[in-house]
Amino acid sequence: MQVLDKTRVEAISQALGEPAWLLEKRLKALEAFAKLPYPSKKDENWRYTDLSEAPLEQEVEAPKGLRLSRDELPELVRRRLEKTDVSGFLVFVGPDLVHAEVPEELSAKGLVFTSLTEALKTHPAQVESALFQGVYTEDKFAAQNSAFFTHGAFLYVPAGLEVEKPLGVFKVLEGGKASAGRSLIFLEDNAKAAYIEEYLSLDLPPTLHLSATEMVLRPGARLRHAHIQTFGQGVWHFHRQRALLERDAGLNDLVVNLGGAYARSEVASELLGPGGESEMLGLYFGHGQQHFDHYTLQHHVEHHTRSDLLYKGAVKDEARAVFSGLIKLERGAQKTDAYQANRNLILSPTARVDSIPQLEIGANDVRCTHGSTTAPVDEMQLFYLQSRGLSRSLAQELLVKAHLADVLNRIPLKALRAHLEAVIEEKVRI
Amino acid sequence: MNQLEIRDLWASIDGETILKGVNLVVPKGEVHALMGPNGAGKSTLGKILAGDPEYVVEKGDILLDGESILELSPDERARKGLFLAFQYPVEVPGVTIANFLRLALQAKLGREVGVAEFWAKVKKALEILDWDESYLSRYLNDGFSGGEKKRNEILQLLVLEPSYAVLDETDSGLDIDALKVVARGVNAMRGSGFGALVITHYQRILNYIQPDKVHVMMDGRIVTSGGPELALELEAKGYEWLRERVKEGA
Repeated sequence: MQVLDKTRVEAISQALGEPAWLLEKRLKALEAFAKLPYPSKKDENWRYTDLSEAPLEQEVEAPKGLRLSRDELPELVRRRLEKTDVSGFLVFVGPDLVHAEVPEELSAKGLVFTSLTEALKTHPAQVESALFQGVYTEDKFAAQNSAFFTHGAFLYVPAGLEVEKPLGVFKVLEGGKASAGRSLIFLEDNAKAAYIEEYLSLDLPPTLHLSATEMVLRPGARLRHAHIQTFGQGVWHFHRQRALLERDAGLNDLVVNLGGAYARSEVASELLGPGGESEMLGLYFGHGQQHFDHYTLQHHVEHHTRSDLLYKGAVKDEARAVFSGLIKLERGAQKTDAYQANRNLILSPTARVDSIPQLEIGANDVRCTHGSTTAPVDEMQLFYLQSRGLSRSLAQELLVKAHLADVLNRIPLKALRAHLEAVIEEKVRI
Repeated sequence: MNQLEIRDLWASIDGETILKGVNLVVPKGEVHALMGPNGAGKSTLGKILAGDPEYVVEKGDILLDGESILELSPDERARKGLFLAFQYPVEVPGVTIANFLRLALQAKLGREVGVAEFWAKVKKALEILDWDESYLSRYLNDGFSGGEKKRNEILQLLVLEPSYAVLDETDSGLDIDALKVVARGVNAMRGSGFGALVITHYQRILNYIQPDKVHVMMDGRIVTSGGPELALELEAKGYEWLRERVKEGA
């Protein structure tokens, strides 16, 4: 059965009423997808990853045009909405944007927060100029997403508009079929916003999920971005994101992997103009047989830019995690400040972490440091905490949270931080 | 049977026997000092009482109010009312003192402890120790000086109110002012419901914490016991004097 072919791409594009240029882009991506082989352990960036059980060639789900009132939303989302502090949000169930609430006052100021499909009609120029600029056909999965994506979210913040409260996208995966979606975030000069994308599901049969996030930050723009996945069992999640930071733009980025069977995050910040600053945070905690891959790139293209990456994780049971981070400095990237740290806590002898920090430096007047540590729980600390009456499991929970604390503390979004703490607590007790 | 009793205790680490038949009783309501030269096994005894998994108990028993605690995990011992003030308190970055102390108190009492109740207890303890409230939001022992770490141990002692405490060289490395503060904390605990074993190398702390009894440990066993005057005699004549005396006695 051919489910990932041209007919399918055309059908998706037609169903969504897309313009011709987009179909053309999709078909180009399809060509790349068809040419690229699926990655294997022979590929350097996949050597720790076993995809033999991944539902790679699963059929992509088709949009159904479902709409829901707030009360009809899946319970997973309603529970999250009770505890989040987002001011506006989009809810996707599968490929359908089922519910949207965007504050009138923001729309009145020219902010656009809607589905990609809708934005193609109302803001075609902005979408066309930015879509696929960050993620297109970088690898098999990026190409698959670009060819077959069925839905997406679009945030546009006009020049000078500063939005303090975060905007949220909640996506609930239904399972059984592949799902491919995107986020496109476009901040004009000196605009400011916070964007949280959360991915949720119950335990599912093997399900493929592809997501791509593109961030265009025009000069002086400031974005807080968080990509959080707390999927149930069975989900194979391939995420790729790239931020393009122009002069004096600033990004505070957070990638969190807690759920699913497998999750891979490819996270890149491109510092394209002087004064650009990217803070990149990562958090993961694997249990059972979960496997999380993180491939990060801090790409300093211009001079006087700064990046600061901190990825911290813990693994228990037979879980595995991989961190592979590259700081890359182009020739013109003088006066770069670049930091990269990866710290791992191993809670069982059968859990495993592979950490590979890398530097590639083409300039000479720069400051770069990187470091990586992977260690088991400190028995001295456990004994000390236990000697005050805390059970071993409570002491472990405290140490996991303590390990992850400096990432959690750097998340400027309070409600999100509380949510993550709660999920981590739950996972320690599993 | 209101006492902490150590009965013919033998213990080793990495195959080396450190304790060679320790017998010791600390009745509730009394404070005893355990003195001895370096390497006598004093700190080992403290850690074994608390259940340090590094050590292997080969023989003997430890009884808390008549009940053996040898098979209990460190946290179970703590919940039964035993407390060890560590010689080298462990740094735990990422865990605040306030958070930790409240969890420990809840574990000890076996129930939720409200914020108000917790703060009332902590404030009283801070007053006794002449310590600033701001320490509570700091990470546990993280970047603390030696003196601050010891003070933090006594803070925990005061808040958790155990029935028995073992203070492992809490005096070492402290200047006289810090020593007085620590002593004030321990003395505040004294009473009919509290017994303590103060492990020390020096007589100095005993000027501030009057012991009811003094025991001397050498080469893994208690070689002599006496009243407070024994500590003074040791201070004046040194452990060598005692070593000779023990040899002669044998």
